Amino acid sequence: MNEFVEECRREWRRLGVPDPIANEMAADLTADIEEAEAEGGSAEDVLGSSAFDPRRFAASWAVARGVTGPLAPDRMRRQWPVLAISVTVFATLTAMAAVALAVGRHSAAVAAPVRRILAGPRLPQLFGPGPVAPPFRYFVPGPPFALRDIGGFGILALILLLVAVVGLGIAILYWSPWCRRRLQPTDRMTGRSRYPEGSRR
Amino acid sequence: MLRGVLDLCLLAVMGEGPAYGYEMTKRLRARGLSIVGEGSIYPLLGRLERDGLVETRRSASNGGPPRKYYSLSPKGEKSLEAGVMEWQAARDAVDGALDLVKVEVTP
Repeated sequence: MNEFVEECRREWRRLGVPDPIANEMAADLTADIEEAEAEGGSAEDVLGSSAFDPRRFAASWAVARGVTGPLAPDRMRRQWPVLAISVTVFATLTAMAAVALAVGRHSAAVAAPVRRILAGPRLPQLFGPGPVAPPFRYFVPGPPFALRDIGGFGILALILLLVAVVGLGIAILYWSPWCRRRLQPTDRMTGRSRYPEGSRR
Repeated sequence: MLRGVLDLCLLAVMGEGPAYGYEMTKRLRARGLSIVGEGSIYPLLGRLERDGLVETRRSASNGGPPRKYYSLSPKGEKSLEAGVMEWQAARDAVDGALDLVKVEVTP
């Protein structure tokens, strides 16, 4: 058996093609190549440009016959909707968590200056009990939401928000008509979708 | 469309009688079609088999090892007829459009 067929067998083994089917395909291929060589030709006469890429050839043949293992494209295609729904739910929950964290942080940031307003100034106590806080209110200078106020929760909310935006972007892309058309199986004889326009699987 | 046409050509040469893979390649070449130049016919045959358009049987060839012979199934015959009609309609439409163009052929 020549090197090309050996390479094909390795690829079929990797793709989980059952041994009897792989043996049959290898035998057919060997017989055809040997016949071409006996007539003064080469493997290229049998295989065309595929003669230079045995792995790709082997994979395309096995996929076309529908004899590959669990990673066959049709099965993956069937898993796309489940994956898309999972991503959508995950992104929505993440977005809600980010909003909840941001709102919680916002409330804490507002609460801090309010507490200071109500409490009044605290002066250093050098000697004795120190002066009593004056009974008036004042505002602490500077914005209430300074950048330094963003702590661990703020960063976490930001990260969650970014993750949610990416997830929702992917989900929107999947559910868009353009992507749906690309993922829909097509009839290779006609090149058209196997499902009528507007129908659901 | 091209992919569908290649399938149609394979079904057509199978209509001459059962053939194994390389034999079909030779039949196509004899008719001026060298489609294996761009890739092999084996994946196409595999898909036709999976779709039930061809039937297969394994039998001994002339002095050589047993070969897998492909022939048209009833479904394949219907598909061939429908494909030929579709192709002829498409060809007529294209001819109708291209007939407007006058090409001067100079020796």
